[in-house]
Amino acid sequence: MKPERWQQISGIFKSALALEPEQRGAYVAAECGDDESLRREVELLIKSHQLADDKNFINSPAVAEVASLLIVEDGEAEVSKDRLDNGQQLSHYRIIKKLGAGGMGEVYLAEDTRLDRTVALKILPADVASDKRRMQRFKQEAKLASSLNQPNILTIFEFGDTESLHFISSEYVDGATLRERLSNSSIKLLEIIDISAQVVAALDAAHEAKIVHRDIKPENVMVRRRDGVVKVLDFGLAKLTERNTGLSVGRSDSEVNTELLLRTVPGTVMGTVSYMSPEQAQGLDVDERTDLWSTGVLIYELVAGCVPFSGVTRSHTIVDILEKEPAPLPNLGARTVPAELQRIVSKALAKRPDERYQTAKDMLIDLRNLRKRLELDVEMGRSASPESIAPIATTGNDAIRGTGSIEAGTSTAQDTESATGSRRRVFAGIAVMLVLAAGLIVALNWSRFRSSNAEHPAPPLATVAERQLTYWMTVQKYRNGRPFEEPFRLAGEINFEKDYRVRINVRSPQSGYLYILNEGPPTAGGLPSFVILFPSTTTNGGLSRLAENQRIEIPEQSWFTFDAEKGTEKLWLVFSASAESELEAVKQFANAKDQGLIKDAGLNTRVQEFLRAHSGTKATIEKDDEQTSVRIPGTVLVQAIKLEHH
Amino acid sequence: MKDPSCSPHEITQLLAEWSDGNQSAVDKLYPLVYDELHKMAQRYMNRERQGHTLQTTALINEAYVRLVDQKHVHWQNRAHFFAISAQIMRRILIDHARRHDYAKRGGGAQKISLDEVAIVAVERASGLLLLDEALNRLGEIDPRRSQVVELRYFGGLNNEEIAGVLKISENTVTRDWNMARAWLYQELRETVA
Repeated sequence: MKPERWQQISGIFKSALALEPEQRGAYVAAECGDDESLRREVELLIKSHQLADDKNFINSPAVAEVASLLIVEDGEAEVSKDRLDNGQQLSHYRIIKKLGAGGMGEVYLAEDTRLDRTVALKILPADVASDKRRMQRFKQEAKLASSLNQPNILTIFEFGDTESLHFISSEYVDGATLRERLSNSSIKLLEIIDISAQVVAALDAAHEAKIVHRDIKPENVMVRRRDGVVKVLDFGLAKLTERNTGLSVGRSDSEVNTELLLRTVPGTVMGTVSYMSPEQAQGLDVDERTDLWSTGVLIYELVAGCVPFSGVTRSHTIVDILEKEPAPLPNLGARTVPAELQRIVSKALAKRPDERYQTAKDMLIDLRNLRKRLELDVEMGRSASPESIAPIATTGNDAIRGTGSIEAGTSTAQDTESATGSRRRVFAGIAVMLVLAAGLIVALNWSRFRSSNAEHPAPPLATVAERQLTYWMTVQKYRNGRPFEEPFRLAGEINFEKDYRVRINVRSPQSGYLYILNEGPPTAGGLPSFVILFPSTTTNGGLSRLAENQRIEIPEQSWFTFDAEKGTEKLWLVFSASAESELEAVKQFANAKDQGLIKDAGLNTRVQEFLRAHSGTKATIEKDDEQTSVRIPGTVLVQAIKLEHH
Repeated sequence: MKDPSCSPHEITQLLAEWSDGNQSAVDKLYPLVYDELHKMAQRYMNRERQGHTLQTTALINEAYVRLVDQKHVHWQNRAHFFAISAQIMRRILIDHARRHDYAKRGGGAQKISLDEVAIVAVERASGLLLLDEALNRLGEIDPRRSQVVELRYFGGLNNEEIAGVLKISENTVTRDWNMARAWLYQELRETVA
């Protein structure tokens, strides 16, 4: 632009602004005469001036507006700005290392020096934590969610504060968030469904307790490396951060309408809108169903690699969320997306909450059924031999199996091997009758699934109350006080040398409550001593509840050693469909001081009675080279493993 | 990083030289003030001081008090100090925004809407970067108006202080601001349209 032109424009603009708004038009028109483009330029500027005024454009200093940006940025990028140093002590925690910085403050791996366990410490930003009322609501909800003892909800141990810091200690999950997983590689279909089911299972439990998560997204879901167990993080946190983030309802002027969302929450720069439900994006009241929407978006992204609603701007994204039907899930490569999965996602993504899944449970059932059927597809597609069906039929029930790496619709016999191989061996000897019956049920369900236009999903396979548990031992030989040779795996009992050390590994296709006790030799009083090995503070967040296919290794951090005296020790495995109060009571001794030894004589007796009462049931035991599987009819499985040593 | 306790004299001297028309003094002054402001900004932003909201002027004032020997400085030097501080704050923020923006989107290009730039008042890093570019273009057409925006938006100065720094009337500052802001708004609208 030529300087003279600029002078001209600014001169007229300046004078026009000095006038009352209604006089400006006439003034500008008169000043510009027949110079159309001049008039247009000035008018545009005046319009811009008004809009900039309305919107407070750059009215407050940049620093105030971008401060939150800098906080997060500094936290992420500059190690030297870490709040806490490795080895530093915070309350009774010792910082081990920084795990990362999320939208809501830094997370550290730390050692709980009182309970001798590793935890994750999340440091809350001071400005967030200083709002007492919000903080209170957040704590309430987070505690409540954690207390549900649902294995897919991250367990919170403590809310703490020091003079300058507020923090939350929680179980430490060694794994990756779904965001990290997504950015690394694509996830196999069956694992996607498994992960989704676990997320929905967490929501189901939370919703039952009237807790809405409000912020389900890949960043808030972790998959544990060891066993694929999913943990949903940050229940209640949305309570702490949520603001009036939505559109103002009923304002239709598009200029105003896009005045969105970006009232950024401190520290959460650009909190994403992609996972928001329509009602959430509009700033309306939300209920449980908003989480199901967000989970729908999550599943969509896991399958397609991109979110279903994504405009060039956030405003566009919102409009898409409100109006657009998402593109069908794409078939990527050789992977065919099952129609049923498409149906589940579409149902979760119904614009109107009334048309969505009404409860997490409904969605969970559909996901679990889908998973079972996909497994069947693979099994049946690969081989019609009865053995290959048997494991599914026998492990059926409502079990969702671990993160097998089965990719549906392709010939991935090799992939399947790792997931079901050992099980197949275990169950290979099942009677023909059972196999045939199971095959029939399977085929029936399968054909119903095939005609998947059915309004309602097929009900789960008929269940007979049965408990099953698989275990094996890891044994480390010792010579002269030192580990000798590599540890080896053992399916059952042998005659141990007294300085062998063992670990017991337990897994079940079912979820349930696990207790492991060690029965030592009789004490002076005559009763044998009992030591609780699981639950323990160092494993599974101190909880007895196991998810389907969760593997537990006991003891996790040290080996089990035998008494010096020659004799027989017993390991009692209890796997129950529900929490057992006698055994839960034993947990009080699962600490560093008592070393798990049940010091209460009455409780000791009750435990013994419990074990005796439940160990009479006839069990079906199957053993192979690698593991032992026990099945019993009923809801409580009790199995004793004798460890004879000399 | 320079130990602030040994720089007041140096900084005061440089400010005086600059006031006397020695432009090369600015080049020496810049890194010293940058260090101090950056450090202070970060301290504020990390919220070690609870309950403080970040005030640019307070920040710059504090830097000024720390860095400049009050007894031996002419009042004009303060204006100069503020002017250079505004420039530095702009640099600090833009550097941060650039890194942040880059990290956020892996260096890829991404369009943003006017509303995000304007309404959200540049909370987004990319918005801030676009504003910075627009301000540079304004500087080519109209350096004074561009400077008014820099002093006010990045330096946090009020109109009276700006008038002092630029040696113009407060009314002129207001008019310059109106024109510059309208132009920037429109410019951003066109950039992202």
